[in-house]
Amino acid sequence: MPDPIKPVDIEATPRSQNRRSLWATSGFALVILIPSLYGFGGKFIEFVQLYRGDVDGVFAISPILNYLLASMGFFCLFCWAVTQGMFQDIERPKRAMLDLQNQLDYNASSQSGVAK
Amino acid sequence: MSTEAVPQQLPEHKDLVIEQLVIWYFLAALAYLIISMLGGFLMALQLVDHNPLRGIEVLSPGRWRMIHTNAIAYGFLANAFLGALHWVVPRLTLRQVASRALSYFTFAAWQVVVLSTAVGIMLGEAQGLEWGETPTWIDPLAQLGLLLVAINFLTPIVQTRGPMYVTLWYFTAAFIWTFLTYAMGNFVPEYFVSGTSAGAVGGLFIHDLVGLFVTPLGWGLMYFFVPILLQKPIWSHGLSLVGFWGLAFFYPLTGIHHFLYTPIPMFLQHGAVISTIAVEMVVLTVIINFFGTLVGTGQAFMKNLPIRWFYTGMVYYFLTCLQCAMQTTMTFQALIHFSDWVVGHAHLVMFGVFSMWLQGIMTYLFPRLFKHEWYSKTLCEWHYWLSAIGLLVMATDLTLAGVFQGYWWASLQPWEVSTEGSFPFWMVRIYAGLAMFIGQIIFVYNICMTWQLSRRAAVPATIAA
Repeated sequence: MPDPIKPVDIEATPRSQNRRSLWATSGFALVILIPSLYGFGGKFIEFVQLYRGDVDGVFAISPILNYLLASMGFFCLFCWAVTQGMFQDIERPKRAMLDLQNQLDYNASSQSGVAK
Repeated sequence: MSTEAVPQQLPEHKDLVIEQLVIWYFLAALAYLIISMLGGFLMALQLVDHNPLRGIEVLSPGRWRMIHTNAIAYGFLANAFLGALHWVVPRLTLRQVASRALSYFTFAAWQVVVLSTAVGIMLGEAQGLEWGETPTWIDPLAQLGLLLVAINFLTPIVQTRGPMYVTLWYFTAAFIWTFLTYAMGNFVPEYFVSGTSAGAVGGLFIHDLVGLFVTPLGWGLMYFFVPILLQKPIWSHGLSLVGFWGLAFFYPLTGIHHFLYTPIPMFLQHGAVISTIAVEMVVLTVIINFFGTLVGTGQAFMKNLPIRWFYTGMVYYFLTCLQCAMQTTMTFQALIHFSDWVVGHAHLVMFGVFSMWLQGIMTYLFPRLFKHEWYSKTLCEWHYWLSAIGLLVMATDLTLAGVFQGYWWASLQPWEVSTEGSFPFWMVRIYAGLAMFIGQIIFVYNICMTWQLSRRAAVPATIAA
C-alpha cells in the first residue's frame, strides 16, 4: 500500500486571468454559435414549411424535435453545472478522488490487517 | 465525487460497500455469460449445418440467438455493471446507496426479469425488436426495476456537493438515459408507431442501448479504476469532461446510421452520418486521455492484469469506432449492409470492449471481495489470452467475411455462392468462439477455487493486484 498521495494545494487563478478567459470563451462561443444557429434555424424553418400539411411531415420532423428537446435538457444541465462552479479548478476532482480511494483502502487494510 | 463535502471522519469501506451483493451480482453475470456464449455457440453450429438440437422448437436457433443477445445485454452486462456500481458509487460519494433493502430487492427482481425474458423467448413470446425482445408483459417490470436502480444510486450522487468527478457525471447520465432508452425502444414501436417510424425508433434504441447505457457506465468505471491501479490521476480531467458532454450532445442522433439506404428520410440518414463523425472526435479525446495517463507507467500493461484487460478493451474500442467511421459512410454501407461485418462489429464492441473491462474489474475485485489471492494467476493469464486472442480472431474473421459477402451480393451471384464462400469463415468463428468460451470456464473455475481457499484460510493473506 503506497502512502496516500498528498493533496496538491492549488492556488486560485488570478481574477484578471479568469475574466480574460471568460471573455475569450464567450467570444469564441458567439463566433461559432451565431452563424451555426442562424444556418440551422433557417433550414429548419424551410423544412417545416416544406412538410406543412403532409401526413408524413410529423414523422419527419419529430426526430429533430426529440433531439432538440434532449439537447435542451443537457444544455440546461450544462448551464446549471457552470453556475454551480463544476468547471472551476477543473483538475482538482481527479486528485481528490485518488486521495480518498487511497485513504479508504488504507483505513480498511489497517483495520483488517490485509494489505489492499 | 465531491471535493467539498468530504466528511472530516472518513466512513469505513465496510460500512459503504455491500460486498456480499457485489459478489452475487458478479456471479449472476458470469452465469448469464456462460449461457449466452452457449447460445452463440449453438447458433454458430447451426450456420455450419451441425445444429445438435434440430427439431426441438423451444430450442430452435432463432430463439437461441435471441437468448444469446439478451443474456449478454441484460444478464451479463447489466448484472456486472450493477455489481461494480455497488462498489464504486458508495466509495466515490462516501455515502451508502439510498436503501440496502432496495439493493437486495433490485438484485432479486432483476434476476426474475432476465429469467422471465429467457423463458418468454423460448416459448415464442418475443417482441419484434432487436435487443428489445423482452416479452411485452415483462417490459413494465423491467422499466420499474430501472427506475428503482436510478433512485438507489442517484440519491447518494445528488447529495454530493462541489465539482463532481467525471465518473459520477457518466453514471448520472447513464441512469437517466437507460430509463428513457428502454422506454423508447420497448413501448414506442409496440404501442405508438409502426412501419418505417418504428424502424427508425428501433435503430435509435439498439444504438442508444450501446451508447447511452453501456458506454457511459463503462467509461465511468474506467475513469475510476484506471487511476487507482496506476496510482496516478487521469491525465486531464478537463478533457474527460469534454468527452462526457460530447457524448451527451452528439450521440442521440447516431443510431439512424444503422438504417442507411432504408426508407427513412435522407436528412435523418445524413444527420446520423455527421453526428457519428462528431462522436468519433469525442472518442479520440477519451482515448488520448487514457493513453496519456499510461505514459510513464507503460510497464503496468504487462505486469498488472486488470490494467491489461482495460487497455486491451480500449484498443478494441478504438478499432470498433474506426469501423463505425467507415461503415457510417454511404459508400461503405452499401457494401457491408446485412453482412457478417455487422456481427463482427457487435462482438468487437460488446465482448472486446465492455466485457473485457468488466472482466478486468472482476479480476481486480474478486481477491478483494474474497480477501484472498487468486487460486492461480496462471489461470488468470489463460483467461485473458484466450478471451483477447479468441475475440481478435473472431472479429477479424467476421469482418473479412462481411466484405466478401458484400461483393458476392453486389455482383449478383447466386445466393448459394455467398453461403458456400462464407462456410470457412463460419468454421473459424466456431473455434474462436470456443477459445473465448473456454476462457470463461477457466475464469469461473478459478473463482470457485479462490472462494474455497478463502473459506479455508485461517489468516488473511496479502492481496496483489
